[in-house]
Order: sequence, then C-alpha cells, then structure tokens
Amino acid sequence: MKIYLALTVASLKMYFRNKQALFWALFFPLLIMIIFGMMNFEKYASPNVGIYDAANNDASKALILALGGTSDEELLSVTTGTLDELHHELEFGSSRAVIEIPSNYVIPGEFAEIKVTYDERFQQERAVVSTILGQLTDAAFKEAAQVPDEYRVENSIGVSETFITGQGQGFQAWLVPGVAAMAIMQTGLFTVVFTLVRFKSQGVLRRLKATPIGAAHFLAGQLTTKAIVVVVQTYVLVIVGAIVLGVSVGGGRIGLWFDLTILALLGGALFIAIGLAVSGWAKNEETAAPIANIITMPMLFLSGVFFPLSVMPDWLTRWSQYLPLTYLADGMRAITVEGASIITLGDELIGLGVWIVISFIVATRLFKWE
Amino acid sequence: MTNAIDPVIVAKDLRKKYGDIAAVNGISFEVRRGEVFGMLGPNGAGKTTTVEILEGMRDADSGEAIINGINVKDDPTAVKAMIGVQLQQNAFFDNLNLSEIVDLYAKLYLAKVDPVEVLSRVGLDNRKNAKYAELSGGQKQRLSVAVALVNDPVVLFLDEPTTGLDPQARRQLWELVRKIQAGGSTIVLTTHYMEEAEELCDRIAVVENGEIIALDTPDALIDQLLSTGFKPEKRVREATLDDVFLNLTGRDLRD
Repeated sequence: MKIYLALTVASLKMYFRNKQALFWALFFPLLIMIIFGMMNFEKYASPNVGIYDAANNDASKALILALGGTSDEELLSVTTGTLDELHHELEFGSSRAVIEIPSNYVIPGEFAEIKVTYDERFQQERAVVSTILGQLTDAAFKEAAQVPDEYRVENSIGVSETFITGQGQGFQAWLVPGVAAMAIMQTGLFTVVFTLVRFKSQGVLRRLKATPIGAAHFLAGQLTTKAIVVVVQTYVLVIVGAIVLGVSVGGGRIGLWFDLTILALLGGALFIAIGLAVSGWAKNEETAAPIANIITMPMLFLSGVFFPLSVMPDWLTRWSQYLPLTYLADGMRAITVEGASIITLGDELIGLGVWIVISFIVATRLFKWE
Repeated sequence: MTNAIDPVIVAKDLRKKYGDIAAVNGISFEVRRGEVFGMLGPNGAGKTTTVEILEGMRDADSGEAIINGINVKDDPTAVKAMIGVQLQQNAFFDNLNLSEIVDLYAKLYLAKVDPVEVLSRVGLDNRKNAKYAELSGGQKQRLSVAVALVNDPVVLFLDEPTTGLDPQARRQLWELVRKIQAGGSTIVLTTHYMEEAEELCDRIAVVENGEIIALDTPDALIDQLLSTGFKPEKRVREATLDDVFLNLTGRDLRD
C-alpha cells in the first residue's frame, strides 16, 4: 500500500509537470469547446419532427412521405420511432414536434384525430408544421374517401395540439458533454500510450523489473493517476460549459457530480485499456502515434461528439451507434443535460461494459514489459 | 547485511539458450563476501545474460543461482530486495528531480533513507534538484549507482558502468566503486576495459561463447600468461596514453 501510494504520488507529480500532457488533456478540449460553442451552427433548417404511426396503412405511409416533402424541397425532417423515444427527443433534443397518427386514420366514416405535441418555445416551427399538416390531411382525406370537392366533410380528420416546455438547449448543450467524452478518450488513450511506450523504449520499465515490486505496481500507480486526471478534466469541462456557454447542467441535481465521476471512471477504464493494448503492440513512439490516431479519429466524427448522429446517413449510424465513444458521449449527455441519473442509463452502461471487457482482454494479451 | 553467508554468490552450471544460440553454456563460479568480482569478455559473450540470471531478471534454462543462501529461482523477489542493480541501459523518469527519483526507489524497497545523503555518496548532492535528462553521461551512471544503493545491498551488480564515459568520469566511478567496497559491499562488475578490471577487481572471470575460460586474480592471470613464454609486442612503458590525456586535460570532472 505504501509502495502503491509512493508510485501514485510520483506519477501525479510527473503528470502535472508535463506541460504538453496538460495542454492536450485540459486546455485543448477547453479551447475546442469554447470556440465551437461561440459559433452559431443553428441556421434555419426544416424543422425536425417525430412521427408515430399507429395506423401503418397505405394512407398513413403516404402522409408520412408527403410530410417529408420531395427530394428537391424538404418540408419537414422526419424521424419515426416509439412514442417514448420521440417525446424524449422533443423534450431534450432537437425535435420540435411529435405527430401521432391514430390507428383509424382515414377509415371512411370514422373520425381520426391526429395528436400533435409541440415545444412551446418554438412557435415559428409550430406554425410551419401546423400549416403543412393541415394541407396534407385535407388532401389525404379527399383521396381516401374519393369524395368530390364539393361534398367534402371537413371534420372526419382532426388535428389536436398540445404543448410542452422542452429542456433542449441547442448546440452548446450538445457540445459540452460531447467534448467531455472526447477528452476522456484522448487522456485515456494518448497519455497512457505515450508514457508507457516511452518508458518501455527507454528501459524505465526494465529498471523497475529489477526491484522487488515489479512493474505491475508501477502500472497501478500510473492508472490511478490517469483516473484522477479523467475525473478532474470532466468536472472542469462541465463547469466551464455551464459558466461560459451558459449550459444548464444536471437540472440542479446534487447527484450529478457523483454520476459524472462514475461515468468518467468507466470511460477512463475503457480508453485506458485500449491505450494499454496499443502500447503493448507498438514498439516505439513512432508507431504508437498513428495507431492511436486511427482509433480515435473516426470516433471523433462518428460518435456524435460535435453533431448529432442524425445528420449522417443511416447506413453509417447503424454501425457507429455501437462505437465506444458513442456510448460514452450519449451517457455523458443524458447525465449532464437531460437530467438522467446513472442508474437509469441502460444501453450506454451495457455498451461501455462490453467494450471494457473486450479491451481488457485484448490489453492483457498484447501488453509486454519490454 | 544480516546473516553473513560466504560465498555470497554461487552459480552452478547456468545454461540459457536463445533459439539455437547458447548465450550461457554451463557457467559456474563463486563470489566471496566483500570482493569485487569482474566478468570480462567481448560483446555477446554471455556476461550480461549471466548477471541478469543472478539478478532474477531472467530465468535460466537449467543450473542454480544462489545469492546469500537464497535460490534466485525459488524467491526472485527476496533476492531483488537485497541486491542493488545497475543495468547496462538505465533510464529514469523525466519530470522528477534526482532526490525524488532516489526517494521513490527507496520507497519501492520500503527503505528509510535520506535521498540527499545517498546522492552525496556518489557526489551528486549538489544536483539534487536537477532532472535526469539534464545530467552528463558520468552523472547519469553515478545516479544509477546511487539508486542501486538505496536498499543497502548485500551484492551490487554493475553492468558495464563506465562504457561511454570519458577518462575523468571513468576514474571518478572507479573511486566510487572502491569506496563502496570499503564499506563492506560485494560487487559484481562486467566490463570490456582491461585496465578497469585490473584496477578494481580482486578476481576476474573471462567469458567467451557462454563459458568461463579463465578465472583468477588479475596478477595470477598475467603471471600464467608470462610463464608460457609470452612477450608483449611493445615495450612496457611507465605511463599509458590514458595518463597522458589526463595529465593534459586535468582530472577534474567536466560535468
């Protein structure tokens, strides 16, 4: 225990004296977050709406298709899903309305009520959605009922509106947890890879092998240091995001900091394990750097760190949702800006857990002391 | 140095193969307490592998290595705890100063030492706040000797301690070795400098192709050679070129 403590203290000293490591772990993500956060990426685009189709018949499919507009002119940006998912996206995400098509949609002689829920903060989008929906349902009814214009019955399709006050905070709120997740990845992977590969190639690890403690203790001290850094870094990024970018975090929950700590440690464990695997494999710093980059670069773009995955093509997101950083960024987002607590995270925890196990197995296979 | 067991090192028929090459091919010797034991031989002769087996850094394929009564194979940790090791290639942490490095290593042995006192034994106390990367070659070697001394070792292993040093630094390291020996330590030293072996070692083993081909005191080995009728090619002079160099450039260290 005393030995472990001595090694941890020594490795903390080494870490905080290493200006370069500090720059990449703290200042670089902070800079990215602030610079991107100050830019306004939210220009007008067709409103995002979620559609729940209970009817699932030809008429409802035609309606959904029509709501999306043509390939030349997009009317609404449509996503489908379960009611829960859609309402969650409306409350916390970038969705502006949820349209619920009833099961009796356009059955002649029956009154079909389409329920629409809006975020009251976005009246302009509400007007757009409401107008488009009004025109299309009218046309759809006429076609389904084969009624000539002069006999049309207005009331057999109705639209009812409800309003909620969403918590979605726009781009900044997307960015802050994303960058926090990215920073965990960078620290876990790069600092582990670079210190270990350097110590390995210089023979520091070999010298430790000549002492009675062996290098495993040394590794434990190193990993503790990285765990501390990862947590501190996450706190700093979230706090700066709240103060400088005005993102409201955690809905005032006190448990937020505890949850953040747990999630940062899980993410740290995952990327440290990947770092160990890479440092086991790489012979020197020259080979380690490209390997680490090949692992991190795609995830920066495919894991929804800076932009939602929904802006990317479906065939890509079908795969990228399983990336380690996607789970971490999603979890980070749920806890910091969507008011979730860590015990309510399901997929994210399972995903991280599976990746942690895989990475540690690979790391123990690949890691060598010399 | 608690229970004094003599001889302090026993190597019995050590063998180690790398692939088809026998790096160590049946080496046996004993080292007495308090002596400086030299291992000489060209590069690749098997000196370092032999030393690393004794240090518990490498397992022998067969044979026995016993340090102070403990079989290295049975309890490498206990052996590592009571020996001091200077490896051929030493490296220490960046971003720690010398006294922090010594302090850290002392803690790894759970030894209570004053880092500055340990540094003063190798003449580095005035550089205690320097970083490893800022040291000269000779200073780096002396630091690695200091680190090897933190646990007051029963046996000190020095693997080519003066390779790459200038004559001044080499002589200073020799003085250090003599001082450590005078303090009662046993030292095992590998080198390929003959004058170094002659200067420091009580006995030397000449290693070639993984075997010991001669083992005796330096004087006895020279006498044996002369008794075969050997005549040196050049007349033996009273001084060497080393002496000339030191006389011209001075004995002061260029740190």
